[in-house]
Amino acid sequence: MWNPLPPWLGGRKGTHPVAPADPACPQLDEADIALTLQPWSTVVIDRPSPEVEPSPPAPEGAYHSDVECGGWSTPYVTLRVASVRGLSHRYYGKPRQDAAQAMAGDAVVLAVADGVSGAESSAWGARRVCEAAIGDALRQLRAGEAAVDWPTATSAAAAILHQDAAMWLGTGEADQAQTERLFATTLVAGTVRHTGEGISVSLCRVGDSGAWILTPATGHFQPVFGPKSDPGNALVDGTVRALPRLPQTLEQAAFSLGPGEVLLLGTDGFGDPLGEGDGPVGALFAKQLATPPTPLWLAHLLDFSRETFDDDRTLLAVWPRAAAVGTEEGVHSGR
Amino acid sequence: MPDVRGILLPAYVVADESGSMSACYQELTDGLTSLFETLRGEPMIAAKLRLAVLGFSDDVEVRLPLSDVRYEERPPTLSIRGATSYAAAFSDLLGRIPVDVAMLKADGYKVHRPVVFFLSDGQPTDRRDRDWQDPRSRLVDRDHTPAAPNIVAIGAGGADAQTILAVATRPEFGFVAVPGADLGRAISEFFQMLTASLVATGQAMASGNPEIVVRKPDPEHFRLAIDVV
Repeated sequence: MWNPLPPWLGGRKGTHPVAPADPACPQLDEADIALTLQPWSTVVIDRPSPEVEPSPPAPEGAYHSDVECGGWSTPYVTLRVASVRGLSHRYYGKPRQDAAQAMAGDAVVLAVADGVSGAESSAWGARRVCEAAIGDALRQLRAGEAAVDWPTATSAAAAILHQDAAMWLGTGEADQAQTERLFATTLVAGTVRHTGEGISVSLCRVGDSGAWILTPATGHFQPVFGPKSDPGNALVDGTVRALPRLPQTLEQAAFSLGPGEVLLLGTDGFGDPLGEGDGPVGALFAKQLATPPTPLWLAHLLDFSRETFDDDRTLLAVWPRAAAVGTEEGVHSGR
Repeated sequence: MPDVRGILLPAYVVADESGSMSACYQELTDGLTSLFETLRGEPMIAAKLRLAVLGFSDDVEVRLPLSDVRYEERPPTLSIRGATSYAAAFSDLLGRIPVDVAMLKADGYKVHRPVVFFLSDGQPTDRRDRDWQDPRSRLVDRDHTPAAPNIVAIGAGGADAQTILAVATRPEFGFVAVPGADLGRAISEFFQMLTASLVATGQAMASGNPEIVVRKPDPEHFRLAIDVV
């Protein structure tokens, strides 16, 4: 039987769950603080990128902050999300063109998007497709659908881009090329639901953003979708697939998230340096995501410095909580 | 599988060193110096490029093997000599590019489609057209050469628009100097266009867009070859 109250609350009703102190952060008394408090140093992997003072981001429909992060828990899952402006965009005065959003309703609904740099206002496009895909998924669930129909949700995301493009252009409607030129963006969206058997996940994607199942105990990152480029190819694939263009067959996946597993959604700013997960980037995140970090710490980690990797980075992670998977194993302590 | 250390763009400057280029030797040298200085001032872009400089005439001389320019002490220099064998240039690239790409991959990098910036001031002196057209066709055939490059071709001086168009891999990648244009100015403009294109491509790639960006040269000095033929 699921007990909605965490053990450290001793079953006291009406008390909001409180996360335990982050073991990475030392507990300091007042006298210590002034002497020992140091800024977090950049996480450097291999050779660092140059350090640069960011330029102001060019406006793309709205202000897009350099960093966004957040996190919360439902009775069944804990979620953390962070998105950071890439070094190159900071240097050249472009905004963060990644976006990520998550909402909890009848299910936890997730979306991560990566605006295509060639589009004029892809930061806006990325934000809008996250909102639209999540909104449509929640609408479907509220209407009593057993599962989200992802072709419908991605069509809704494409439609919002066309609608915005028509407004921006001051025309009654915008065609595919006009909308692409303004707002082209990738999208990975999904639901995480508690069922009688555990946590079930349903995902879809358009473009080269990714999803993985991380097993921290082994450090293995299992990609949910195919690789960005065929590993047998001599060169990386130069094809950009993005909304508002809808694929003939939408990539979809459905699976259960087991105990000791973490669901990850991320843009290629994270996926490219991760590779197959067997290098230092994989090792860093496998260790740091063994338990849910604070949102700020996740954003700091994601802002690691490694030469040649300077795109925006976004990562959304979901951990099943103990009761959801029917075991204490693999669930962070205290939950 | 080893870790991915980065995604690199191999770029080849293939410059005509034939005797007719002697009048603009200083512009060639200055252009290479300017290219290096610009890339060194853009360390994020330079880190993602590997640049080679090849001089061709009767054969090909490697003035700079595929290198990380951030660690080069000085820019390479070209040497004026011989005739204008396009066959030598394309035969060399046909052997060189697959080896370079394999080497980068063995070092743990992923590789974007290479780009060649081809500069000539004259017509090929090869005996028959097919002597250079055959290796060029095999070089750009993605079935024959999986790492087939994009070729941006620039004709200055006596280069014929039709020939330059036949060298470039896309019509919008072929440029010829306007009639009567000063050769030295045209060479300088080539290097400005080359530098701007590499910087723009590097910026695009940093944002996850792997398309090559070719900055059009100053229309006062160059036109698209397709508009001239």
